Amino acid sequence: MPDNWGFVLAAYGLTAVVLGLYWRHLVRKEKELRTQKRTPSGTPVAERSREPSQSGHPRTEPASRGPRQP
Amino acid sequence: MVRALGWLSAIFLGVGLIMAFGVAPRESTQGNVQRIMYVHPPLAWVAYVAFAVVAAASIVYLVRRRPAADRLAHASAEVGVIFTGLAIATGSIWGKPTWGTWWTWDARLTSVAILFVMYVGYLLLRDTIDDRERAARYCAVLGIVAALDMPLVHFSVYWWRTLHQPPSLMKPGGFSGSPAILWPLLVNLVAFTLLYAYLVAKRARLLGAARGALA
Repeated sequence: MPDNWGFVLAAYGLTAVVLGLYWRHLVRKEKELRTQKRTPSGTPVAERSREPSQSGHPRTEPASRGPRQP
Repeated sequence: MVRALGWLSAIFLGVGLIMAFGVAPRESTQGNVQRIMYVHPPLAWVAYVAFAVVAAASIVYLVRRRPAADRLAHASAEVGVIFTGLAIATGSIWGKPTWGTWWTWDARLTSVAILFVMYVGYLLLRDTIDDRERAARYCAVLGIVAALDMPLVHFSVYWWRTLHQPPSLMKPGGFSGSPAILWPLLVNLVAFTLLYAYLVAKRARLLGAARGALA
């Protein structure tokens, strides 16, 4: 049977690329969070909109709310 | 601790790669394409571990309502979906030269595909519910229900006549092949398990930090 090195490289390469990209995504998120903690404006709107509401019901149209005014 | 786990997994992955290409012999019937075995079963093994952790953490969350258990389940499901996707893809790449097809609706492949779709649904469900407590509760139930597919995945090769071979390691009587094949496989199993633990720890810490920033 032929060696099919192309298939071997594809399997190992795909695994390395996907896991590497996921790891880089986590590192980038970690950096973003660290930067946010340092800036006084705090959490971005997209993150704040996922806070639970007082009533326990989901908030409507989270994307439409603007940033908190000082 | 997390950083040390990262370095440890990198070292094991390096050693595993060297063993897969430098120590393991060329298989007589499949040729070098059989070297995919040192990456495909470890990926599938981690998928099992990841979803077992999701189920266990989900039970803990439902009983104790500990946010840390929910974060662990969330992180493990995310990493588990990536490893399952890769297990399916590498299996497909291995299947083409050996079976002559990228995909077949064989019992093992189909049950794994169902497992993958269920945990993708788990992650989507989490993102569609704004109320965090409610999302955690619903996902915990789904995480436990989806894990019921795992025995079906594992035993499918015994219960039905499949194209997929029976397990090499997790079978009665253990591994029957040569130690030159067994050791590279074991080292890669450890390497991918460590990598899983590292990625889950990192992701769970991120989830905790993001929620802490909201509080």
